[in-house]
Amino acid sequence: MRLEGKVALISGGSRGMGAFEAELFVKEGAKVVVGDVREEEGRALVDKIGGDAVFVRLDVTSESDWAAAVNESVDRYGKLDILVNNAGVSARGSIEETTVAEWDRVMDINAKGVFLGTRQAIPEMRKAGGGSIINISSQLGLVGMSESSPQYQASKGAVRIFTKSAAVQYAAEGIRVNSVHPGPIVTPMTEARRSDAAVQEVMISRIPLGRYGESEDVAYGVLYLASDESSFVTGSELVIDGGWTAQ
Amino acid sequence: MADRPPRLEGKVAIVTGAGSSGEGIGNGKAASILFAREGAKVLLVDFQEDRARETLDSIHEEGGVASTLQGDMTKIDDCERMAQTAMERYGRVDILDNNVGISQRGTVVEVSEEDWDKVMTVNLKTILLASKATIPHIIASGGGGAIVNIASIAGLRAHSSTPYTTSKAGVIGLTFSMAADHAADNIRVNVIAPGLVYTPMVAPRMNDDLRQLRTDAAPLKTEGTGWDVGYAALFLASDEARWITGICLPVDAGLTSVHPGTFTPMNQQTRY
Repeated sequence: MRLEGKVALISGGSRGMGAFEAELFVKEGAKVVVGDVREEEGRALVDKIGGDAVFVRLDVTSESDWAAAVNESVDRYGKLDILVNNAGVSARGSIEETTVAEWDRVMDINAKGVFLGTRQAIPEMRKAGGGSIINISSQLGLVGMSESSPQYQASKGAVRIFTKSAAVQYAAEGIRVNSVHPGPIVTPMTEARRSDAAVQEVMISRIPLGRYGESEDVAYGVLYLASDESSFVTGSELVIDGGWTAQ
Repeated sequence: MADRPPRLEGKVAIVTGAGSSGEGIGNGKAASILFAREGAKVLLVDFQEDRARETLDSIHEEGGVASTLQGDMTKIDDCERMAQTAMERYGRVDILDNNVGISQRGTVVEVSEEDWDKVMTVNLKTILLASKATIPHIIASGGGGAIVNIASIAGLRAHSSTPYTTSKAGVIGLTFSMAADHAADNIRVNVIAPGLVYTPMVAPRMNDDLRQLRTDAAPLKTEGTGWDVGYAALFLASDEARWITGICLPVDAGLTSVHPGTFTPMNQQTRY
């Protein structure tokens, strides 16, 4: 198994890509702490997975929540090897329409949340002799798109370069940090947008492989980066976007 | 093994440069072994067939399915014979892993026109020809496919080896373009950019001091191997990467994530 003996913490793990990753990681031998603000869905998920997963309430903007989540990992499973900073929110609108409060909300969840999680996880990974952090950015952390929003794009761009900063700072301790850049994925987060048939048609027309991505398309990339198969890979940007940005 | 089917079950893969150019495990050899381990039938193609046979022996020891073929990927006739051989032996083609490559150092002033042409032919044109010959067979096989090209971080930055850098930058551009051209055929095309990896190809230019210099330059403070590149190729070749096309994945211990001037030892490698 590709994650045998590993312990992982996944933020935003109760649904969408995070939930698929939790199930996949357990199948590959890991023990998983699922963190999310969605308690009901998170508890249902760990019940479904069975013995090797536990739920913790995790608001990624709260450092004390992060500390508790990391403690849960160590108390329950003895250590922390893998952190997936998956929690995030989407947002739309022009720069002129965007309020400071909305900017702050999205930056707090999508960017500051990654910083806080990384800050709390690093000491435990150091104790474990190394680790792997996977930060979920976005294709919109790489290229501009007029239909997105300044706060979403800026937050995902922040995740991209934060990843490289962390990768370089902690590489010598065997802690790898990589970012993943999904294109449009069929998840609850994108549901509202996808329900507009005209929008969906335009989006698909931009994707060379001709379809939206699925949670599992991203989860397998995360699995690769989490596993020792990628032990020589750090600071990389794994783009999972059906070829969108290659054009 | 996990409770899951092998990751390349039912697939047929062609690996060019499947033998290692010396002792040890090169990128092509590692990928070949991993592909077979995960259930693919693998056609091992090499200019020196005896090298491919060494890879075959490793695969047979693990109970895998593979066979060898002598082929010069700079010749379109050999490439076509390669693709046809895969079809004849295994009935389909799903994966092409393009590993053929050589080093070539020197500035534009130093390099001879002959050496320039040689490195561009071996590192870049071989991918054109092998893909040209194989893609129609992948399409005819009816299941889509995956092409994995091996470039280098030398294709992303200056690397004291101008002809090599140029050829590998070409491989990256060719990959993006092929990805866009063949997405409609459900053929995914991606490129790996290894860096600071110790393989039989670079071994003749290395000594203990240089290896230590490279290890120190690697943010992860380790030296890569063909296996690191092989596992990346396995991921990109498998259906796990079914929505990934047109990407360049560095496998370089983080070197290209660092400010280029951070590790001055890299600039001192000019003569290795």
